[in-house]
Amino acid sequence: MTAAIAPTRRQVLSLYKQFIKNANQFNNFNFREYFLRKSRASFKQNSTIQDAEKLSKLYQDAKNDLSALKRQSVISQMYTFDKLVVEPVDKEERKDINKH
Amino acid sequence: MLRTIFCTASRSNVIMTKARTRAASTLVSRRFIMAMNSNTQSIMRPMAVSMRFYSADTAAPKLNKDEVTRRVVDVIKAFSKGSTNPTVAGTTDVNADTLFHKDLGLDSLDTVELLVAVEEEFDIEIPDKVADELKSVGETIDYIVSNADAN
Amino acid sequence: MLRYTATPFLRLSSSSCAASLASRRTLPSLVSRSNIIIPNTKNKRLYSAVAATSPAVKVAKDISLETHTDTQRAAKETQEARSAAATTPLSKSSIIDEIDTSGTTALNAAYQENTGFGTRPIYMDMQATTPTDPRVLDTMLKFLTGLYGNPHSNTHSYGWETHKEVEDARDHVAKLIGANAKEIIFTSGATESNNMVIKGVSRFYKNTKKHIITTRTEHKCVLEAARAMINEGFEVTFLNVDEQGLINLKELEDAIRPDTCLVSVMAVNNEIGVIQPLKEIGNICKKKKVYFHTDAAQAYGKIKLDVNDMNIDLLSISSHKIYGPMGIGGLYVRRRPRVRLEPLLSGGGQERGLRSGTLAPPLVAGFGRAAKLMYDEFESDHEHIKRLSDKLVKGLLALDHTNLNGSADHRYPGCVNVSFAYVEGESLLMALRDIALSSGSACTSASLEPSYVLHALGRDDVLAHSSIRFGIGRFTTEKEVDYVIKAISERVQFLRNLSPLWEMVQEGIDLDSIEWSGH
Repeated sequence: MTAAIAPTRRQVLSLYKQFIKNANQFNNFNFREYFLRKSRASFKQNSTIQDAEKLSKLYQDAKNDLSALKRQSVISQMYTFDKLVVEPVDKEERKDINKH
Repeated sequence: MLRTIFCTASRSNVIMTKARTRAASTLVSRRFIMAMNSNTQSIMRPMAVSMRFYSADTAAPKLNKDEVTRRVVDVIKAFSKGSTNPTVAGTTDVNADTLFHKDLGLDSLDTVELLVAVEEEFDIEIPDKVADELKSVGETIDYIVSNADAN
Repeated sequence: MLRYTATPFLRLSSSSCAASLASRRTLPSLVSRSNIIIPNTKNKRLYSAVAATSPAVKVAKDISLETHTDTQRAAKETQEARSAAATTPLSKSSIIDEIDTSGTTALNAAYQENTGFGTRPIYMDMQATTPTDPRVLDTMLKFLTGLYGNPHSNTHSYGWETHKEVEDARDHVAKLIGANAKEIIFTSGATESNNMVIKGVSRFYKNTKKHIITTRTEHKCVLEAARAMINEGFEVTFLNVDEQGLINLKELEDAIRPDTCLVSVMAVNNEIGVIQPLKEIGNICKKKKVYFHTDAAQAYGKIKLDVNDMNIDLLSISSHKIYGPMGIGGLYVRRRPRVRLEPLLSGGGQERGLRSGTLAPPLVAGFGRAAKLMYDEFESDHEHIKRLSDKLVKGLLALDHTNLNGSADHRYPGCVNVSFAYVEGESLLMALRDIALSSGSACTSASLEPSYVLHALGRDDVLAHSSIRFGIGRFTTEKEVDYVIKAISERVQFLRNLSPLWEMVQEGIDLDSIEWSGH
C-alpha cells in the first residue's frame, strides 16, 4: 500500500462547497438544516487535523457521504410536501433566514 | 444545427431564472418551478461546457457595478445576521474595502459558504481557482461585474 | 473557463439521478424538435425546454411534484371519529366540542395563515416515531433496486451479497450496546421483542419458575404480555414507582423470589423520559440469578448502554425510534451464560431458531445504517438535543402553574413531559394543530383516558389530563423550539382565560375547599 496523500486545501474547500450546495438543495426543512449544521460542524472540527493518513481517510469518507447527500437531495426534491409553519414559503425570504 | 440547440438551451436557462425571480404569483406554480428548476439544471449541466463557447463572445456585462455592490452587501448582511460567530454577527458596516478574513472574521470555510450565497444570488458558478483568490468584497464585486453570466 | 467544475466522481454519482438518465435518452429527439421550441420563448414554462421533448418528462410537466398534506381535514376527521367513539361521559366530549368551536375563531388568529409561512405542523412527537434519515433511505434503496437476493439463499451470489450486508447491519446494531453480533435477533419491532421475551422466557422455564416482575410504567406491550402470562398460570408483580418515576431498588430486591424467572424494567420511559437505574437493577438480578430484560425502544442509541457492564440479559430495540425504517426491530439475547427462550414463531429456524421467517434485507440494512449513525453521531446528537431540550424546558416552565413530570436528573433530554394546570390536555392539543404533539403514548392516545404512567407517578387525573409530551430529536431545529415555546405560551393563556377554574385561582380561591356537585 502506498502512503496516503493528504488532500490539498483547495480540494477540501471544494468538497465543503459541494456539501453546502447539496445540503441547501434539500426540500425538507429539517433535513436541510441538519445537513448544513452537520457539514459545518464536521469540517470545522476536522480543520485542525494535520496527519496525512487521517486526512486522506476523512477525505475519502466525506466523498462517499457527499455522493449519498447528492442522491438524497435529489430525492428530497422529487417528493416534496407542504412547507412547515416555521418555514417561509417564498424562496427569496428563505435565503435570508437560511444562513447559519 | 448543433448551434441552435445550444443557443436554445442557454436562452431557456436565462428565461427560466427570470421567470423565477419575477415570481410566478401562485404558490403552486412557484414551487413547481423550484422543483423543476433543479431537475432541468442537472439535465443541462453536461451541456453547459460546450454552451459557453457560443455565448461568451456575444454577451457583454449586463449588470452595473452599483447594483452588484448593493446586492453583494445585502447577501453579506443576511449572511452575517444569521451567523453564530459573534464577530461575524456584529458586522453592520460592509463596503467594497471590507476584507472577508480581517474585517468580517470569516475563516476559509465561512468564506466558501458566503460565496455559495453570492453564487445563488447571481446565478453563477465561481470556479475554485477564482474563489481562492477572492479576499475582499471589492474583488468579489469586480468578478461578478466581469462575469457575463451573472444576472 | 468551465462553468461547472465537477470531478469525474461527482459526474458518476449524478448519473444515478433519474432526471439526467431520462435526458440522455431523449437527446436525439431534442435535435429534431428544437426548432419548434424557439418561437415559444415567451412561455415561462420554457424552463423545461429540454424536458418537454421527452414523452416521459412531458407528463411530469403537468403534474405537481408536491405531495399535499391536508392537516386541517385530518384533524377534523380524527376529532369526529373520536367524539363518535367516545365512551367517556357526555360532559367531556361536549367540553371539547365547546372549546373547539368557541376557540376556532380566536385560534385562527394564533394559527399562522397567509403570513408567508407554510401550513405543515412542526413534528414534536419523536417518541412515537422519528423521520427516516436520508442516509438510511440511501442504504435501503440499494436493496429495493438491485440487491434483491434472499439472504438465506446460499447457492448464488445474489444471496451471498445480501447475506453479507445483513450481517454487517447486525454488527452495527450490536456495537451500540457492546454486544456480539451473534447475540442480535431481528424481529418486527420492539413489541414483538418484548412479547418474545416475556412469553418465551417464562414458557421455557414454566416447569420450575412461576413468577415475573415488571413495573407499572412499562409500555403497554410489556404489561399486556405479562397479563397474558397470568392466564397461563404465572404470577406477576407490578412494581410501583415514586413520584420521580423511578423504581425502588429495595422493593425490587424484596420482590424477587426463588421461582422468579424474569425481571423486566424499561430503560427510558416513553412518556416521561425517565431513565431507570439499569446498572443497579442488573447487579441485583445477577446476584439473585434472575434474567434481566430491558425494553430499550426509547433508549437504544440515545443513552449509553452496555449489556455487559449493566448485566442485561435481554434487550428490546426498535428501528423507527432511531431514524430507521418502521417494521423492524431487534432483540439482544445473551449467549454466555446462555438465555433460553421458546420462540413465538415456528418455521425454518432462522435467527438462531428464535425467529423464523425470511429477513427483510432493506429493513435490516436500514436499521443497521441507522444504528451506525447513532453510534457515529452520539456526541453531536446528544449535545444538540440537550441544548434544545434545556431551552424548551426553561421556556415552558416560565409559565405559571406548570411543572415537569418525572425526574429532572435521571432523564433522557429528548423527552419532555410538562403539565399545564387548569388546561385540558386534549383541548390544548386541539388548539395546537400547527404542532404535532401527543399527551402520551401513541397507543393510548386514541382513548381519552388519562395516562396510566402519570397515574403511577401519583399525579391526579386532572393534572394527568393536562400533560403534554414534547419530543426532540436529531432533526429538530432551534427555530421550531422557539415557535413551540411561543405558541404554547399563547394558547395556554388563551385556554386558561376560558376556564372558570383559572378565574377562581386568579381570585385566590382554594380549589380544594370547593364542594363539587355531582351530575
